[in-house]
Amino acid sequence: MLIELDNTTKIYNQGKPNEVTALHGVNLQIEGRTMVCLQGASGSGKSTLLAIIGCVFPPTSGRASIAGKQLSRMPDRFLTIHRREKIGFIFQQFNLLPRLSVLDNITLPLLPLGISPRERKTKARKLLGQLSISHRENFPAGQISGGEMQRVAIARALINNQPIILADEPTAHLDSRLSMEFMQIMTDLKASGKTIIIASHDTLVSEHPAIDKIINIKDGRIDVP
Amino acid sequence: MLPKGLEKQLNILDFSLTSLWRRKLKNLSIMLVFALVIFLLGSFQMLTGALTSSAEAVLENTPEITIQKMSAGRQEAIPLAYIEKLRSIYGIRAVIPRIWGYYFDESNLANFTILALELGSMPFDSNLNLTLAHGHFPKKTEPGTAVIGRSVQDILGLDKRRTFSLFRPDLSLKSFKVVGVFSQQTDLLSNDLIVMNLTDARDLFGIPVSMATDLCIYVANPTEIETIAKKIAVLLPDTRVLTKSQIQKTYQVVFSWRSGLASICLLTALVAFAILAWDKASGLSPEEKREIGILKILGWETGDILAVRFWESTLVSALAFIIGCTAAYIHVAFFDASLLKAVMVGWSVIHPPFKLLPSVTLADLLLIFTFSVLPFLGATVIPAWRCATVPPDSVIR
Repeated sequence: MLIELDNTTKIYNQGKPNEVTALHGVNLQIEGRTMVCLQGASGSGKSTLLAIIGCVFPPTSGRASIAGKQLSRMPDRFLTIHRREKIGFIFQQFNLLPRLSVLDNITLPLLPLGISPRERKTKARKLLGQLSISHRENFPAGQISGGEMQRVAIARALINNQPIILADEPTAHLDSRLSMEFMQIMTDLKASGKTIIIASHDTLVSEHPAIDKIINIKDGRIDVP
Repeated sequence: MLPKGLEKQLNILDFSLTSLWRRKLKNLSIMLVFALVIFLLGSFQMLTGALTSSAEAVLENTPEITIQKMSAGRQEAIPLAYIEKLRSIYGIRAVIPRIWGYYFDESNLANFTILALELGSMPFDSNLNLTLAHGHFPKKTEPGTAVIGRSVQDILGLDKRRTFSLFRPDLSLKSFKVVGVFSQQTDLLSNDLIVMNLTDARDLFGIPVSMATDLCIYVANPTEIETIAKKIAVLLPDTRVLTKSQIQKTYQVVFSWRSGLASICLLTALVAFAILAWDKASGLSPEEKREIGILKILGWETGDILAVRFWESTLVSALAFIIGCTAAYIHVAFFDASLLKAVMVGWSVIHPPFKLLPSVTLADLLLIFTFSVLPFLGATVIPAWRCATVPPDSVIR
């Protein structure tokens, strides 16, 4: 299994008056080279589950094994390195740095790896070409359309060739045509060997033929229908 | 091909530069305020250095011991007969009578210092000429000649003329011929100075031939100065005995005290600036917090984010340091520290003016650096570290 959670619990502000249990003993297995849709209402624990799979923080208790590494009690530094090597993120708000150029946004994950500017540009230009946005290379990221921002975010998630792509509500700000385009790109990425986890309410995502599995979360628990 | 570690630091430096440029208005305003604080601190430091080194240059040739006759707590003329009494003290190399007085020029509203002594009898008379920009000191055989300070030259309009006249107490005029002008290095004490023969000074002030204002004493062994000074005090109880080191200390204390007082005021400003910088940095804008979160989630380690912040702060503070110190040097060297001179020099600014030669040492620059750049780095990097150590999950919510 590429991703395996065993009785995973996440408690925020543990021991404080504002303690919140976001995940209650979640068990989950996701195989490699699959596309999974994560569904759940706002506050259901979807983002927390995505953060644990994305190695943003370890669980409070239970086991979480992501791409062959146990996250429990892993120091922040190793968690970051593991995240950098294994996880690519695509966010709902795209989370681009608006005053930085498209090219510079895409190469951001490569800067701490000590990759030379020439090599960074070569990698980024290849992805820009694949995603048909080469003409926007030098534009500030804040001055391009929503669909183009989405593609820049995808390019940034792929620049380090990570095996797992996490997408949080990626079609929330896109029209149906752009949403379909996005799902086509994801389908191509799955075909190329990536594992894709998409958190979404959008039926266009959940009913897409490339989706292998749908996971429902309710009140911090996996909801088995 | 560069090593990975070096390439990484270059990448981070490059990102820091673009980051500074992206927030250029904010960074420029911080840098300018910071440069202003460093300018003030640097100006005080350089002005103190200039005054102290000027004083040291002048005091180098002062007599090792000076004695003045006191009566009812006030100074009065000293009889030359005291010279004979002093010869009984072993270790005294030379005793030279001196007249030191002040002349108020009513037409120009300027005070001049008049100094007269037998220069030929001084143990190092040849060295004295080094303090002159040109000319020579009046010789015993040249009555009616004088060496003047640069300000005296300006006030009396002596750039083309070679003679000037001063009033005796009975309002008759006494003429002098200029045979030399003091150099800029000794401006602090020589700017308002007129040096002449003893005979001429006695004539000008109406002092009897058997009297002088004080006696200058040179000793054979400098380590014995204090011992000889004590012997003189015992031998001539009606005199005040001043050693060279005491006079030097007085100047140092005066300038250091003023500099210290000014520095306290400036340090207060610096602390206020550091608090402001801390407040700005700890209260990171939502955009900056979001940026840190994005970088972290993209695989930037806490150390990488701190390195960005460190480079940003270093570049801002280094630029502010260079601008502030350069402006301070220009202020002291070319504008005579006009903004701060009144605080540091006191009454001497009234008249006549004097030119400053700034003195900058590595220690001064290090002191300014320590009290400005280091607190700024701390005030900006520490809050960024606090923000960077928080898990970046807010970005994906």
